[in-house]
Amino acid sequence: MSQRVDPTLAREIEKFGKGTWNECFHCGNCTAICPLTEQGFLFPRKGYRAIQMGLKDTIEKSVEPWLCYYCGDCSSKCPRDANPGETMMTLRRYLTSVYDWTGLAKKIYTSKIFELAAILVISLTVLVLYVSFTFFPSDEGSWIGNDGGVLINNIAPWKRIHLGDWAIAAMLAFLLITNIFNMWLKIIVKDKSVKVPFYAYFTEIFSLAWNFLTQRKLSKCDNAKTYWILHLYLMLSYVALFTMIVFFLEWFQTDTVHPIWHPQRLLGYIATIGLFTGIFYFINNRLKKSKENSKYSHYTDWTFLVLLFLTTLTGILLHFFRINGMPVHTYITYLIHLMVLVPMLMIEVPFSKWSHLAYRPFAIYFANVKKSALKRQDKL
Amino acid sequence: MEKPRIGVYVCWCGTNIAKMVDVEAVTNEIGKLPNVVISKNYKYMCSDPGQDLIVKDIKEHKLNRIVVSACSPRIHELTFRKALEKAGLNPYLFEMANIREQDSWVHTDRTEATKKAKALVAAAVNRVNFHEPLDARTVDINPSTLIIGGGIAGITAALEIADAGKTVYLIEKSKSLGGYSSKIDLTFPYMTSAQQMIKPLIVSVKTNKNIQLFLETEIKEIFGYIGNFESTITPKNGKEVKLIFGNIIIATGLKPSDASKVTNYGYGKIPDVITSLELEEMLLKGKIVKKNGGEPKNIAIIHCVGSRNKDYHEYCSRTCCLTALKYANQLRSALSSSNIYELYADMRSMGKGCEELYTATSKRNIMFLMFDQQNDLPKIKQADGKDYSMLIEMNEKLSGESIEVPADMVILMTGMEAHANAKEIAHAVGISMCGNSFYIEKHPKLDPVATTTNGVYIVGGCQGPKDIPDSVSQARAAAARIMGIMAKGSVTVEVTTACVNEDICCGCQTCIKVCPYTAISFNEEKKVSVVNEILCKGCGTCGSACPTGAIRSRHFTDQQIISQIEGLMSMSLSLELEEA
Repeated sequence: MSQRVDPTLAREIEKFGKGTWNECFHCGNCTAICPLTEQGFLFPRKGYRAIQMGLKDTIEKSVEPWLCYYCGDCSSKCPRDANPGETMMTLRRYLTSVYDWTGLAKKIYTSKIFELAAILVISLTVLVLYVSFTFFPSDEGSWIGNDGGVLINNIAPWKRIHLGDWAIAAMLAFLLITNIFNMWLKIIVKDKSVKVPFYAYFTEIFSLAWNFLTQRKLSKCDNAKTYWILHLYLMLSYVALFTMIVFFLEWFQTDTVHPIWHPQRLLGYIATIGLFTGIFYFINNRLKKSKENSKYSHYTDWTFLVLLFLTTLTGILLHFFRINGMPVHTYITYLIHLMVLVPMLMIEVPFSKWSHLAYRPFAIYFANVKKSALKRQDKL
Repeated sequence: MEKPRIGVYVCWCGTNIAKMVDVEAVTNEIGKLPNVVISKNYKYMCSDPGQDLIVKDIKEHKLNRIVVSACSPRIHELTFRKALEKAGLNPYLFEMANIREQDSWVHTDRTEATKKAKALVAAAVNRVNFHEPLDARTVDINPSTLIIGGGIAGITAALEIADAGKTVYLIEKSKSLGGYSSKIDLTFPYMTSAQQMIKPLIVSVKTNKNIQLFLETEIKEIFGYIGNFESTITPKNGKEVKLIFGNIIIATGLKPSDASKVTNYGYGKIPDVITSLELEEMLLKGKIVKKNGGEPKNIAIIHCVGSRNKDYHEYCSRTCCLTALKYANQLRSALSSSNIYELYADMRSMGKGCEELYTATSKRNIMFLMFDQQNDLPKIKQADGKDYSMLIEMNEKLSGESIEVPADMVILMTGMEAHANAKEIAHAVGISMCGNSFYIEKHPKLDPVATTTNGVYIVGGCQGPKDIPDSVSQARAAAARIMGIMAKGSVTVEVTTACVNEDICCGCQTCIKVCPYTAISFNEEKKVSVVNEILCKGCGTCGSACPTGAIRSRHFTDQQIISQIEGLMSMSLSLELEEA
């Protein structure tokens, strides 16, 4: 069946990033040197062509942009400076908006003002809720414990905070699951060229967890070892802290000041170092524009890094003020911490850059499912 | 005739010959042949010491025939003929044996190659025995020039020659000058106006005292040869004029091919499928409209219409890709909200400023789609939708997808082809054409504007599709060549021509039919054929066709050729016997 070309689609996708695909004259160097592309899943050139020609169906059902980890080799070897790596990035942003049924992802990716307004609205909501449901330390003496640390659960009881946590976690889970369902419809169900047997979803399930936890594919990119290690460390730190806050807040937010070798503090410190190293590495790259994948920054790339940085910074300060018995500081810092953390979670995870933590492993999973089906049908 | 005293010189050509041919053995063997006085070999015969060796030996040993066995005569025959002249010997008493291109370069067995070299040299020695001295011939040049075709090439050549103070007869078959350059709006790659370029040139031609312009006039026949051509023309509404001129420039150009032959595109059947020249008309008028008067919203430009396909023309028309890019830019500027599609086979944007035009165009929101010109042409189907009246179905090569392109105007980039009367003009001036009816140049690389007929030059599109700068360059090149000859006043012409023995000629006129240079005419009074020695190229066709043996080709006489064959065979035979 022939597809209708659509010259307006390229202009639409251009809103999501840097549109340099017109430079491409299809030499195929990018695909030839990409360490991750493989038979049946060729990129980045094919994605380029689909944008140039405005093949909406081809783009929407493509899993390839997610298989790219953006090492930037293709961009550095491109004879026309068409920047294939950044185009893959742009396609990931566009696809995020395609999967998102709420339409908010598109607004966030295409309007700086909308994104900023959304952050402010969420921050202010957090402010109102925080002031309503926590306790300001009017009598400083009663907020300090025997070991000199602030009795934090007297300020912001973990049970109350937990309610908010769970509400947010439930919302994020709902959005991500529905969007991934949408993604599955587009990538697998809509593609009539391959019939996926049901059992393939089970045989490939291991790859989902494996790729999520190791980002093995990124390590296969040339000259991306540092990038891979820091990216992985950052991600694992984030997941560790997120898990502790959402599922083990009682254990994590204690009134006692544990000794430094206590697992609670040790884990917190290791994760904090992971976050900070990663954040500094990525901010430094983006400021210096030293690598192919940091030469061009979309504003959402910055929003994410800045929010993550502020969350980490306020988290460290919160810990410092608590163990040093400074209740007023603790109270205010806790507020600021939540005012950046909550918008970061609610905007970045389902609608913006952070969503790749779900889409990418699922894309690899769907690709593997397809691959096993294709192999079974002797098409690969 | 004095007894031949032959000098033979075997060249090593460094190691080119010496590594595969035992030059010493060849020298010794040839030295034993009758009439050979001297047989030598030397590292580089074409070098100054090599040539001096010949000059010295001619004088010292009273040699009157020379054979050099070296490379191809195309490379060094003239060099050695000059050496003979220097020593006071007629240059035609020379023969060359090619033991490099025809021997050492193409063989791998040294013994066999040496045997072959001996045979080739023996043949040359046998032949040179019968060489005769021939005298060079010169003709005076009439300082007027005939130019056929008043397009950009003809106009340029005419102005160049006329500005040098020489008379030009400019003949144009249509009502006006300028050719296709005056039918187009802008030129690629710099998007400058063609009208602003061509109009002042036309005025210059019309006001130039040295140019006699004949519009609506065609050439029927041309007689004569370099320096002395003549033709009688009949201008419209005028009486016959007899023109005499020394040189001819053919600048008849090309015409667009017939777009309706490519049935996939439905030209002539589907409204709003137009040719590039029809678009130029609209651009000149300043309004791009569909047949119904509306503004087009989806415009497709299809490349290579009638070109690069075995069913139409196999050659590339060269200018269409860039013209298509030019249109894309013009349409983008004129219709900013329209969608523009370029359906191309290969983008051929070579030339100064041209790849840059492609790059710039690709940034102007134009969709480039590639199809297979050889096996899988797009197909236009009529349709009915918002902003489109056609759907172009095609297999897009770069994506591998089957697609449909909506369009409400399709521009066909028709290729260029030779005029229907190209053959008549070729026959009138005695030049040849290739399979595509383009005129053939004397040498594709080294002499691209001259033809094998002396005094006849081909410039512009009639030699093959080309753009304005190339046509203009050729026009100026031909003009410079002609003015060089005029400055000299006379030319030396080839003397290895045919001559008729009137006593033997039976008047059958077979030779007149076979002569490719129209060099033979019939003397009605004597009832014999007469060779025009200026036009004759000495190809020998007439000599071999003549049933009575009345025609003799100078320097290629029967005796010379037979003795050459005898030399070849006897040496081969004696070497075989020796081995046995």
